[in-house]
Amino acid sequence: MDQIALFLEFLRASALSVGGLASLPLLRSTLVPAYATDAQIVQSLAIGRLSPGPNGLYLVSLGYLVAGWPGAISALLAACLAPLVVLPATTLGRRWLLSGWFAGTVRGVALASAGLLAGTGIIIMIVSGTAPWQLILAAAATILTIRGTLHPAVLVGIGAAAGLVFAR
Amino acid sequence: MTDSPRARDLLRAWIDIGSQSVGGGTSTLFMIRRVLVDQRRWITPREFTEAYALSQLSPGIHFVAMAGLLGRRLGGTRGVVIAVAGMMVPASLITAIMTAFFAAVAEHPIALAALAGIAPIAAGMTLGQAVILGRPVIHRGPRGILDLAVAIAAALVVLTAGGSTIAVVLASGLVGALFLRGARPTSQETEMS
Repeated sequence: MDQIALFLEFLRASALSVGGLASLPLLRSTLVPAYATDAQIVQSLAIGRLSPGPNGLYLVSLGYLVAGWPGAISALLAACLAPLVVLPATTLGRRWLLSGWFAGTVRGVALASAGLLAGTGIIIMIVSGTAPWQLILAAAATILTIRGTLHPAVLVGIGAAAGLVFAR
Repeated sequence: MTDSPRARDLLRAWIDIGSQSVGGGTSTLFMIRRVLVDQRRWITPREFTEAYALSQLSPGIHFVAMAGLLGRRLGGTRGVVIAVAGMMVPASLITAIMTAFFAAVAEHPIALAALAGIAPIAAGMTLGQAVILGRPVIHRGPRGILDLAVAIAAALVVLTAGGSTIAVVLASGLVGALFLRGARPTSQETEMS
Protein backbone atom coordinates (compact mmCIF):
# COMPACT_ATOMS: atom_id res chain seq x y z
CA MET A 1 0.00 0.00 0.00
CA ASP A 2 1.53 3.31 -0.98
CA GLN A 3 1.71 6.32 1.30
CA ILE A 4 -1.16 8.22 -0.25
CA ALA A 5 -3.47 5.19 -0.18
CA LEU A 6 -2.55 4.60 3.47
CA PHE A 7 -3.18 8.26 4.34
CA LEU A 8 -6.59 8.14 2.63
CA GLU A 9 -7.43 4.95 4.51
CA PHE A 10 -6.66 6.63 7.85
CA LEU A 11 -8.52 9.76 6.79
CA ARG A 12 -11.61 7.79 5.75
CA ALA A 13 -11.64 5.80 8.99
CA SER A 14 -11.32 9.02 11.05
CA ALA A 15 -13.90 10.93 9.02
CA LEU A 16 -16.54 8.20 9.24
CA SER A 17 -16.34 7.50 12.96
CA VAL A 18 -17.35 9.36 16.10
CA GLY A 19 -14.76 9.27 18.89
CA GLY A 20 -11.09 8.29 19.15
CA LEU A 21 -11.24 4.50 19.15
CA ALA A 22 -14.25 4.34 16.83
CA SER A 23 -12.01 4.39 13.75
CA LEU A 24 -10.68 0.94 14.69
CA PRO A 25 -13.38 -1.26 13.05
CA LEU A 26 -13.06 0.57 9.73
CA LEU A 27 -9.27 0.41 9.75
CA ARG A 28 -9.19 -3.22 10.80
CA SER A 29 -11.55 -4.20 8.00
CA THR A 30 -9.22 -2.73 5.36
CA LEU A 31 -5.77 -3.40 6.89
CA VAL A 32 -6.15 -6.93 8.36
CA PRO A 33 -4.92 -9.33 7.06
CA ALA A 34 -3.32 -7.79 3.96
CA TYR A 35 -1.24 -5.07 5.64
CA ALA A 36 -1.36 -5.74 9.37
CA THR A 37 -1.99 -8.61 11.78
CA ASP A 38 -4.39 -8.71 14.72
CA ALA A 39 -1.33 -8.97 16.98
CA GLN A 40 -0.21 -5.60 15.61
CA ILE A 41 -3.69 -4.16 16.24
CA VAL A 42 -3.40 -5.31 19.87
CA GLN A 43 0.08 -3.79 20.15
CA SER A 44 -1.12 -0.46 18.79
CA LEU A 45 -4.12 -0.40 21.16
CA ALA A 46 -1.91 -1.18 24.16
CA ILE A 47 0.75 1.40 23.22
CA GLY A 48 -1.99 3.96 22.53
CA ARG A 49 -3.11 3.48 26.13
CA LEU A 50 0.40 3.58 27.62
CA SER A 51 1.53 6.67 25.73
CA PRO A 52 0.38 10.24 26.39
CA GLY A 53 -2.25 12.07 24.35
CA PRO A 54 -5.83 11.23 23.34
CA ASN A 55 -7.05 7.64 22.92
CA GLY A 56 -7.12 7.88 19.16
CA LEU A 57 -3.30 8.00 19.03
CA TYR A 58 -3.32 4.21 18.64
CA LEU A 59 -3.62 5.32 14.98
CA VAL A 60 -0.06 6.64 15.02
CA SER A 61 1.19 3.38 16.51
CA LEU A 62 -0.68 1.36 13.89
CA GLY A 63 0.61 3.63 11.12
CA TYR A 64 4.15 3.00 12.33
CA LEU A 65 3.62 -0.78 12.39
CA VAL A 66 2.20 -0.79 8.86
CA ALA A 67 4.67 1.58 7.17
CA GLY A 68 7.32 2.86 9.59
CA TRP A 69 7.80 6.60 10.23
CA PRO A 70 6.02 7.69 7.01
CA GLY A 71 3.05 5.58 8.13
CA ALA A 72 3.06 7.22 11.56
CA ILE A 73 3.11 10.68 9.95
CA SER A 74 0.25 9.75 7.58
CA ALA A 75 -1.81 8.54 10.52
CA LEU A 76 -1.08 11.68 12.56
CA LEU A 77 -2.05 14.00 9.68
CA ALA A 78 -5.28 12.11 9.04
CA ALA A 79 -6.14 12.06 12.74
CA CYS A 80 -5.61 15.85 12.96
CA LEU A 81 -7.46 16.80 9.77
CA ALA A 82 -10.73 14.88 10.03
CA PRO A 83 -12.01 16.38 13.33
CA LEU A 84 -11.20 19.94 12.23
CA VAL A 85 -14.20 20.03 9.87
CA VAL A 86 -15.92 21.21 13.03
CA LEU A 87 -14.23 24.63 12.54
CA PRO A 88 -15.85 25.66 9.23
CA ALA A 89 -19.02 23.86 10.33
CA THR A 90 -19.41 26.01 13.43
CA THR A 91 -18.91 29.29 11.55
CA LEU A 92 -20.81 28.49 8.35
CA GLY A 93 -23.52 26.16 9.54
CA ARG A 94 -24.28 26.66 13.19
CA ARG A 95 -28.03 26.45 12.51
CA TRP A 96 -27.46 23.37 10.38
CA LEU A 97 -25.50 21.74 13.24
CA LEU A 98 -28.49 22.27 15.53
CA SER A 99 -31.02 20.76 13.12
CA GLY A 100 -32.92 17.61 14.03
CA TRP A 101 -31.73 15.58 11.08
CA PHE A 102 -28.10 16.38 11.76
CA ALA A 103 -28.52 15.35 15.40
CA GLY A 104 -30.14 12.14 14.13
CA THR A 105 -27.24 11.48 11.74
CA VAL A 106 -24.64 11.89 14.49
CA ARG A 107 -26.74 9.64 16.71
CA GLY A 108 -26.99 6.97 14.02
CA VAL A 109 -23.23 7.08 13.34
CA ALA A 110 -22.50 6.92 17.10
CA LEU A 111 -24.75 3.84 17.43
CA ALA A 112 -23.02 2.19 14.47
CA SER A 113 -19.60 3.08 15.95
CA ALA A 114 -20.60 1.48 19.26
CA GLY A 115 -21.84 -1.69 17.57
CA LEU A 116 -18.82 -1.95 15.28
CA LEU A 117 -16.49 -1.44 18.25
CA ALA A 118 -18.28 -4.14 20.25
CA GLY A 119 -17.97 -6.58 17.36
CA THR A 120 -14.31 -5.70 16.87
CA GLY A 121 -13.59 -6.19 20.59
CA ILE A 122 -15.13 -9.67 20.42
CA ILE A 123 -13.10 -10.54 17.31
CA ILE A 124 -9.85 -9.39 18.93
CA MET A 125 -10.78 -11.64 21.85
CA ILE A 126 -11.46 -14.65 19.60
CA VAL A 127 -8.35 -14.35 17.43
CA SER A 128 -5.94 -13.67 20.27
CA GLY A 129 -6.87 -16.53 22.60
CA THR A 130 -9.82 -17.68 24.70
CA ALA A 131 -8.15 -19.56 27.54
CA PRO A 132 -10.14 -19.18 30.79
CA TRP A 133 -7.60 -16.74 32.29
CA GLN A 134 -7.81 -14.59 29.15
CA LEU A 135 -11.61 -14.51 29.26
CA ILE A 136 -11.48 -13.43 32.90
CA LEU A 137 -8.99 -10.65 32.02
CA ALA A 138 -11.20 -9.46 29.15
CA ALA A 139 -14.30 -9.37 31.35
CA ALA A 140 -12.43 -7.48 34.07
CA ALA A 141 -10.99 -5.01 31.54
CA THR A 142 -14.47 -4.40 30.09
CA ILE A 143 -15.98 -3.63 33.50
CA LEU A 144 -13.04 -1.52 34.70
CA THR A 145 -13.03 0.49 31.45
CA ILE A 146 -16.75 1.24 31.80
CA ARG A 147 -16.33 2.24 35.44
CA GLY A 148 -13.21 4.25 34.66
CA THR A 149 -11.78 3.77 38.14
CA LEU A 150 -8.47 2.16 37.17
CA HIS A 151 -5.92 3.87 34.93
CA PRO A 152 -5.71 2.17 31.51
CA ALA A 153 -1.92 1.94 31.74
CA VAL A 154 -2.33 -0.08 34.96
CA LEU A 155 -4.74 -2.41 33.15
CA VAL A 156 -2.20 -3.00 30.37
CA GLY A 157 0.45 -3.71 33.02
CA ILE A 158 -1.80 -6.25 34.74
CA GLY A 159 -2.42 -7.94 31.38
CA ALA A 160 1.31 -8.16 30.62
CA ALA A 161 2.02 -9.60 34.09
CA ALA A 162 -0.78 -12.16 33.74
CA GLY A 163 0.62 -13.13 30.32
CA LEU A 164 4.10 -13.68 31.77
CA VAL A 165 2.61 -15.94 34.46
CA PHE A 166 0.12 -17.95 32.38
CA ALA A 167 1.41 -17.93 28.79
CA ARG A 168 4.97 -19.22 29.24
CA MET B 1 -10.08 37.06 28.39
CA THR B 2 -9.02 40.38 26.85
CA ASP B 3 -6.00 39.94 24.58
CA SER B 4 -4.60 36.78 23.03
CA PRO B 5 -1.78 34.97 24.80
CA ARG B 6 1.59 34.85 23.05
CA ALA B 7 2.26 32.01 20.61
CA ARG B 8 5.06 30.60 22.75
CA ASP B 9 2.86 30.47 25.85
CA LEU B 10 0.06 28.84 23.85
CA LEU B 11 2.39 26.19 22.50
CA ARG B 12 3.75 25.39 25.95
CA ALA B 13 0.23 25.01 27.35
CA TRP B 14 -0.86 22.61 24.61
CA ILE B 15 2.34 20.56 24.84
CA ASP B 16 1.62 20.21 28.57
CA ILE B 17 -1.90 19.00 27.78
CA GLY B 18 -0.78 16.50 25.15
CA SER B 19 2.19 15.05 26.94
CA GLN B 20 0.74 14.83 30.47
CA SER B 21 -2.59 13.21 29.67
CA VAL B 22 -1.61 9.55 29.75
CA GLY B 23 -4.37 7.13 28.80
CA GLY B 24 -6.62 9.54 26.94
CA GLY B 25 -10.30 10.10 27.62
CA THR B 26 -11.14 11.82 30.87
CA SER B 27 -7.46 12.38 31.61
CA THR B 28 -7.14 14.54 28.46
CA LEU B 29 -10.33 16.42 29.30
CA PHE B 30 -9.07 17.01 32.83
CA MET B 31 -5.74 18.37 31.55
CA ILE B 32 -7.39 20.77 29.08
CA ARG B 33 -9.58 22.15 31.84
CA ARG B 34 -6.79 22.39 34.38
CA VAL B 35 -4.30 24.09 32.08
CA LEU B 36 -6.58 26.47 30.13
CA VAL B 37 -9.37 27.22 32.62
CA ASP B 38 -7.88 26.80 36.11
CA GLN B 39 -4.19 27.67 35.66
CA ARG B 40 -3.94 30.11 32.72
CA ARG B 41 -7.54 31.43 32.94
CA TRP B 42 -7.58 31.93 29.16
CA ILE B 43 -10.89 30.08 28.74
CA THR B 44 -14.02 30.49 30.88
CA PRO B 45 -15.78 27.38 32.22
CA ARG B 46 -18.69 28.21 29.93
CA GLU B 47 -16.48 28.40 26.82
CA PHE B 48 -14.89 25.13 27.88
CA THR B 49 -18.27 23.41 28.13
CA GLU B 50 -19.45 24.82 24.80
CA ALA B 51 -16.31 23.70 23.02
CA TYR B 52 -16.68 20.27 24.59
CA ALA B 53 -20.30 19.96 23.43
CA LEU B 54 -19.45 21.06 19.87
CA SER B 55 -16.44 18.74 19.71
CA GLN B 56 -18.73 15.77 20.38
CA LEU B 57 -20.33 16.40 16.97
CA SER B 58 -17.04 16.05 15.11
CA PRO B 59 -15.77 12.96 13.34
CA GLY B 60 -12.60 11.25 14.54
CA ILE B 61 -10.79 12.24 17.74
CA HIS B 62 -13.05 14.64 19.64
CA PHE B 63 -10.15 16.23 21.54
CA VAL B 64 -8.58 17.35 18.26
CA ALA B 65 -11.83 19.16 17.44
CA MET B 66 -11.85 20.62 20.94
CA ALA B 67 -8.22 21.78 20.59
CA GLY B 68 -9.15 23.33 17.24
CA LEU B 69 -12.13 25.21 18.71
CA LEU B 70 -10.25 26.46 21.78
CA GLY B 71 -7.15 27.23 19.69
CA ARG B 72 -9.22 29.36 17.33
CA ARG B 73 -10.75 31.17 20.30
CA LEU B 74 -7.26 31.92 21.69
CA GLY B 75 -5.38 32.82 18.52
CA GLY B 76 -7.32 32.48 15.29
CA THR B 77 -5.99 30.16 12.59
CA ARG B 78 -2.50 30.30 14.07
CA GLY B 79 -4.02 29.31 17.39
CA VAL B 80 -5.62 26.25 15.77
CA VAL B 81 -2.30 25.07 14.33
CA ILE B 82 -0.49 25.66 17.64
CA ALA B 83 -3.16 23.88 19.67
CA VAL B 84 -3.50 20.79 17.48
CA ALA B 85 0.23 20.44 16.79
CA GLY B 86 1.14 21.10 20.43
CA MET B 87 -1.30 18.50 21.72
CA MET B 88 -0.64 15.87 19.06
CA VAL B 89 2.95 16.05 17.76
CA PRO B 90 4.99 15.41 20.94
CA ALA B 91 2.49 12.76 22.09
CA SER B 92 2.65 11.09 18.64
CA LEU B 93 6.44 11.16 18.69
CA ILE B 94 6.45 9.35 22.04
CA THR B 95 3.84 6.89 20.74
CA ALA B 96 5.86 6.11 17.60
CA ILE B 97 9.11 5.68 19.57
CA MET B 98 7.38 3.32 22.02
CA THR B 99 5.99 1.38 19.04
CA ALA B 100 9.43 1.15 17.41
CA PHE B 101 10.93 -0.10 20.64
CA PHE B 102 8.21 -2.68 21.16
CA ALA B 103 8.25 -3.83 17.51
CA ALA B 104 11.97 -4.56 17.89
CA VAL B 105 11.35 -7.02 20.74
CA ALA B 106 7.87 -8.24 19.72
CA GLU B 107 9.05 -11.67 18.58
CA HIS B 108 10.91 -12.41 21.81
CA PRO B 109 9.21 -15.17 23.89
CA ILE B 110 8.82 -12.84 26.87
CA ALA B 111 7.14 -10.18 24.72
CA LEU B 112 4.88 -12.82 23.15
CA ALA B 113 3.83 -14.04 26.60
CA ALA B 114 3.11 -10.47 27.73
CA LEU B 115 1.09 -9.88 24.57
CA ALA B 116 -1.01 -12.98 25.25
CA GLY B 117 -2.13 -11.18 28.41
CA ILE B 118 -2.36 -7.71 26.86
CA ALA B 119 -4.63 -8.95 24.03
CA PRO B 120 -7.65 -9.74 26.24
CA ILE B 121 -7.12 -6.40 28.03
CA ALA B 122 -7.19 -4.61 24.66
CA ALA B 123 -10.31 -6.58 23.72
CA GLY B 124 -11.98 -5.68 27.02
CA MET B 125 -11.05 -1.99 26.72
CA THR B 126 -12.52 -1.97 23.21
CA LEU B 127 -15.75 -3.55 24.48
CA GLY B 128 -15.84 -1.08 27.36
CA GLN B 129 -15.41 1.84 24.94
CA ALA B 130 -18.30 0.45 22.89
CA VAL B 131 -20.52 0.57 26.00
CA ILE B 132 -19.31 4.07 26.92
CA LEU B 133 -20.06 5.26 23.38
CA GLY B 134 -23.41 3.48 23.12
CA ARG B 135 -24.87 4.06 26.58
CA PRO B 136 -25.68 7.80 26.25
CA VAL B 137 -27.21 7.42 22.77
CA ILE B 138 -29.46 4.43 23.49
CA HIS B 139 -32.84 5.53 24.83
CA ARG B 140 -34.48 3.86 27.79
CA GLY B 141 -37.82 2.16 27.11
CA PRO B 142 -39.51 1.32 23.78
CA ARG B 143 -37.72 4.08 21.85
CA GLY B 144 -34.47 2.31 22.56
CA ILE B 145 -35.40 -0.71 20.47
CA LEU B 146 -34.45 0.95 17.18
CA ASP B 147 -31.26 2.35 18.77
CA LEU B 148 -30.26 -1.11 19.96
CA ALA B 149 -31.18 -2.66 16.62
CA VAL B 150 -28.79 -0.30 14.78
CA ALA B 151 -25.93 -1.06 17.20
CA ILE B 152 -26.53 -4.83 17.15
CA ALA B 153 -26.79 -4.90 13.35
CA ALA B 154 -23.43 -3.10 13.15
CA ALA B 155 -21.86 -5.58 15.58
CA LEU B 156 -23.21 -8.53 13.56
CA VAL B 157 -21.73 -7.18 10.34
CA VAL B 158 -18.30 -7.18 11.99
CA LEU B 159 -18.75 -10.59 13.62
CA THR B 160 -19.96 -12.33 10.47
CA ALA B 161 -17.66 -10.32 8.16
CA GLY B 162 -20.91 -10.02 6.22
CA GLY B 163 -20.57 -6.57 4.72
CA SER B 164 -18.69 -3.32 4.45
CA THR B 165 -18.14 -1.42 7.70
CA ILE B 166 -18.28 1.86 5.76
CA ALA B 167 -21.70 0.89 4.36
CA VAL B 168 -22.84 0.23 7.94
CA VAL B 169 -21.74 3.70 9.06
CA LEU B 170 -23.38 5.44 6.10
CA ALA B 171 -26.61 3.43 6.43
CA SER B 172 -26.76 4.12 10.18
CA GLY B 173 -26.26 7.83 9.57
CA LEU B 174 -29.19 7.74 7.14
CA VAL B 175 -31.39 5.75 9.55
CA GLY B 176 -30.48 8.31 12.22
CA ALA B 177 -31.33 11.29 10.01
CA LEU B 178 -34.72 9.77 9.14
CA PHE B 179 -35.80 8.09 12.37
CA LEU B 180 -33.66 9.23 15.30
CA ARG B 181 -34.15 12.99 15.14
CA GLY B 182 -35.15 15.24 17.93
CA ALA B 183 -32.89 13.86 20.62
CA ARG B 184 -29.60 15.31 21.73
CA PRO B 185 -26.82 13.55 19.88
CA THR B 186 -24.01 14.14 22.29
CA SER B 187 -22.68 12.14 25.19
CA GLN B 188 -23.85 12.35 28.77
CA GLU B 189 -20.89 14.52 29.78
CA THR B 190 -22.19 17.29 27.54
CA GLU B 191 -24.73 18.12 30.20
CA MET B 192 -22.09 19.29 32.65
CA SER B 193 -21.75 22.99 33.18
